[in-house]
Amino acid sequence: MKKDGFYFLRVYPLVFMLIVTLICISIVTGLHLSTKSRVDANENLFLRTTVLQAADVAVPEDFREVNTLFESIVSEEDSFYKVSRADGSISFVVPTEGAGLWGLIKLMVGFDEELEELTGIGIFAQNETPGLGARIEEEWYRTQFSGKQGPFVLVDEGAGDSPDEIDAITGATRTSRAMLSILNDVFVSGPAVVRGE
Amino acid sequence: MANSKLKKTFLTPLGKDNPVFVQVLGICSTLAVTNKLENTVVMTLGVMFTTMLSSFTLSLIRKHIPARIRMMVETMIIATFVIIVDIVLKAYLPDIWKQLGPYVGLIITNCIIMGRAEAFALNNKPGLSLIDGLASGMGYAYVLLIIAFIRELLGTGSIWGIQVLGDWWTNWTIMIMPPGAFFMLAIFIWVVRESFMKEKKED
Repeated sequence: MKKDGFYFLRVYPLVFMLIVTLICISIVTGLHLSTKSRVDANENLFLRTTVLQAADVAVPEDFREVNTLFESIVSEEDSFYKVSRADGSISFVVPTEGAGLWGLIKLMVGFDEELEELTGIGIFAQNETPGLGARIEEEWYRTQFSGKQGPFVLVDEGAGDSPDEIDAITGATRTSRAMLSILNDVFVSGPAVVRGE
Repeated sequence: MANSKLKKTFLTPLGKDNPVFVQVLGICSTLAVTNKLENTVVMTLGVMFTTMLSSFTLSLIRKHIPARIRMMVETMIIATFVIIVDIVLKAYLPDIWKQLGPYVGLIITNCIIMGRAEAFALNNKPGLSLIDGLASGMGYAYVLLIIAFIRELLGTGSIWGIQVLGDWWTNWTIMIMPPGAFFMLAIFIWVVRESFMKEKKED
């Protein structure tokens, strides 16, 4: 093979790149397909966990129990979930989303039987700053919403007592405000969705 | 002879030619993923895996890669290994995958990996390139882990998510944010260069 010929300079690089690309694509595709069912199961499990969190139901550690529990107490309606809780009451969980600081925040919001107060929230997807805004996923933040009634106002972290006050996260003002506006919106739109309006 | 070259290949990236505090490469991820120790460990393992195997693979085919398209081939192979890491994390460690977000994919553009491929793997045997890749990854890893340890401790008062400092501790919010990493990295480079690398300056 001539080192400066047409074949060496033009054809060989093309063929080489094509072969490398094909090999790489096959590896990645194979791996993607072989783990797809597992990835889907993870996603589904995560979705179910957030629904249970929003309904203020204790989520079991073991994932098989999460699935069994979910299937026994949750019924999926058109655009919301109906959760029968252990004490006999019902919680309606509505999925919603809104703009956060860095990207979309997707969450589940739970309402009580009369659609007058919240039972909790579950964060499904968020891209907030790790350690600051991302703390909306932490338990203390999620569980503060039980029994709250809108329209809401923000107060300092740890200061929210009355039903309309929600804790902000120190150092994550913009994420806190984003959550406030999402929750104020859903407090009006959520019950309407459940009533089928 | 062969043994001493092996030793040198392994030790240089850990010390006097460290990719982070000497070459100052891979800074983007140093700033982005060092605010929680757990994320940092997964991230550095991903980088180690990628540098090691991409250097090895490129070294294997180094005599066949046409010089004009070598960067395309390098990027393609590096990207393949990174996507393997991404898919494995997504399937088996979904929680950490969610937290690392786009940074796993960004390993592809980590200059350390490309740098090792260009500077070492294309001119050396596969076995030696593997060692070089591993050592470069480790050199990157331990610096990040030290920074992550300090940032998580000062920023949240906890280590590995477990609270270790009491109520008296006020969290340094800046440590969690990217600027905190700038300060930490600069201080780290300064301390290391002042105390361990002095003789180099006098040359």
